Amino acid sequence: MSLQYLKSAVAENDTEKLIRYVRLHLGDGNETAGRKEIDKAWIEALKLLLDVPLTNSEFIFATLKQQSPATLAHLYFHLHFYFVQRSGAWIHDGTL
Amino acid sequence: MTAPSDENKQLRPGLWETINERYPGSMITKEDFIPLARLRKPLSQTRLTFVSSAGVQPKGTMPFDVVHPVGDYSFRRVPSTAKIRELEIHQIKYPTSGALKDLNVIFPIERLQELASEGVIGGLTPNLFSFIGYQMDPPTFERTLAEDIADAVVADGAEAALLCPA
Repeated sequence: MSLQYLKSAVAENDTEKLIRYVRLHLGDGNETAGRKEIDKAWIEALKLLLDVPLTNSEFIFATLKQQSPATLAHLYFHLHFYFVQRSGAWIHDGTL
Repeated sequence: MTAPSDENKQLRPGLWETINERYPGSMITKEDFIPLARLRKPLSQTRLTFVSSAGVQPKGTMPFDVVHPVGDYSFRRVPSTAKIRELEIHQIKYPTSGALKDLNVIFPIERLQELASEGVIGGLTPNLFSFIGYQMDPPTFERTLAEDIADAVVADGAEAALLCPA
């Protein structure tokens, strides 16, 4: 899958190709594993909020308002890996 | 020492076709043939540099962005005098467990330092060079990272380069 392949998928609104790429990326080339990794990250994030802990909402809203969509998208990928790592179930070969 | 490579042959002629088969459309293709460069003087008088896609970097430098879906097109300079304890790996696309026990298996800096001190090679450039190998945009890779490293290698006075994919 080249970048051009992905851009063509965007142009054609072929969401299956795009999400498959994300799953492959997050699953180190294994689409099924990637799907589980997405679930894992969301579950970890949810668990952290169940007790309604004090969080820095100002930081969150300021970040969303002040940062570019591309920066937020980049952050989104980092957050995924952060929560996956935090879950303790690390499937990747190396380290962040 | 092996004889200089035949100018009319690439090291692995079928390599690019194989990669194109696995990652269709993702390879840089070149119509013009670029012959391998010959050594201009004995290895014992040649200043060597090392370029690696292992994601090795000095501690305290900006970590390679291993999560970016399209890749990180930056490189790090690793001082050729560095101690292994001063280095770390940021990379999730290859098994690093062995390298974390002995970095030399993927980034043989101590072996290179030994070769230099023993006079097998003429010396090392002030810096060695490292990047991560996960790149989804070959044209950007070529235009930025490859060109940047090439410029840095030349600026460091390299007379030969050892390239090592992780």
